[in-house]
Amino acid sequence: MLKTKNSTLACSPARAILLLLALGLSGCSQSYVVLLAEDDGSLGKVEVTTPQGTTLLENNRDAVNLEGEAGKTFLVSEQQIKEDFGAAIAASPEKPRSFYLYFEGGTATLTAESMADIPEIIAEIKRRPAADISIIGHTDTIGDEQTNASLSLERAKSVAAIFTEVMPDAGKVTVDSHGEKNLLIATPDNTDEPKNRRVEVTVR
Amino acid sequence: MIKICITMLALALSLLSVDVWAESDVLGFVKIVEGEASITAEQGTVPARPGLPVYMGNLLKTAENGRLGVTFKDNTIMSLGPDTELRIDEYLFAPAQSELKLAASLLKGTLHYISGVIAKLKPEAVSVKTPAGIIGVRGTRFLAKAEAE
Repeated sequence: MLKTKNSTLACSPARAILLLLALGLSGCSQSYVVLLAEDDGSLGKVEVTTPQGTTLLENNRDAVNLEGEAGKTFLVSEQQIKEDFGAAIAASPEKPRSFYLYFEGGTATLTAESMADIPEIIAEIKRRPAADISIIGHTDTIGDEQTNASLSLERAKSVAAIFTEVMPDAGKVTVDSHGEKNLLIATPDNTDEPKNRRVEVTVR
Repeated sequence: MIKICITMLALALSLLSVDVWAESDVLGFVKIVEGEASITAEQGTVPARPGLPVYMGNLLKTAENGRLGVTFKDNTIMSLGPDTELRIDEYLFAPAQSELKLAASLLKGTLHYISGVIAKLKPEAVSVKTPAGIIGVRGTRFLAKAEAE
C-alpha cells in the first residue's frame, strides 16, 4: 500500500488523499503487534487472538492490526518501527549472560579452569547497571538422588560465597539447586560426567 | 471443639502466610529508567529507579517523556516506551516443580518483549493481554502498541 509513496501516482490529488489516508491508518492511531527477529537473527512466532479470530505471525516485521481482520498480516517498515517503538527498544536491558562453573567429582571444589573464570564473571557483574544474579547448582548422576540434591546446593552456596563482596545485597542473589534432575549432558544413572557437575551463574 | 477451631485457625493462618510469601516474591528488577516512570503496588506508587524489585500485580507506568526496562528472573525482558502502562498479572517461575506462568496486560502504549526461560519451557504459559486482543508468545521477540480502551 505504501509503495505508491515514491511513484508518480502521488501527483494526482485524489491519489494523494488516498495515500494520506493510507499513511494515517498505518500510523499512530492503531493497535498492532509486530514479530521481530532477535539481534542474533533467530525468529520466533507470535499468536494474536482478537474477537475476530487468531493470527499467526511467522516472518520478521510481520504485523497484525488488533482492530482489523484476523489473518490479515502486513509488513512494517524499519522506519515505522523506529517511529513507534524506538523508545521502547532503546530502554531494553541487555540480555542476561550465563556462565558455567565446573567441579571436581563428588565435591564442592571448583576445577582450576573454572576458578580462573571467576574474574570475568565479577567484571560482568560490575559492568551492568543494578545487576542481579542467580546461581543454580547441579550434579552428575553418580550417587543417589538425595545426596546429589544436597551436593548441588552445597556447590551453589560455595559459588555464592565467592560473589558476596561484589554482590553485598543478598536480595539480588538467588541460590537454587536441581540435584541430578537437570543434566546438561543426558546420561544414564551412576555416570561420571564432568560437564554435569556444574553451577550456572546468570548475570542480569 | 476448641482444639478443632485452633487447628483450623492455624491451618488458615499457614495458608495465608504461604500466600503472602508467594505474593512478595521478587519477579525481577528494573534495570533502565529514563525520564519519568513509576511502579504502583497496593501500598502505593514509587518512582522507578534501576535496582527496584518488581512484584506480582505491579503496574509499571511511564510518562510522556519516560522509558522503563525490566529483566525478570527467567530472563524475560520487557521495556516500555513513553505513555505506557503494563501490569504484571501472573508470574510463576519454578522449573523444578514445572510451575511456569507469565501473564501481563499492556493497558496502553508500547512494549518491547524478549522471551525468557518460561516461554522456552512452556510457550502456552505466556500471554500478554491488550485492550483489543491477546498475544500468545511462541518464542523470542515482539513489539506491541495498544490504544487505551
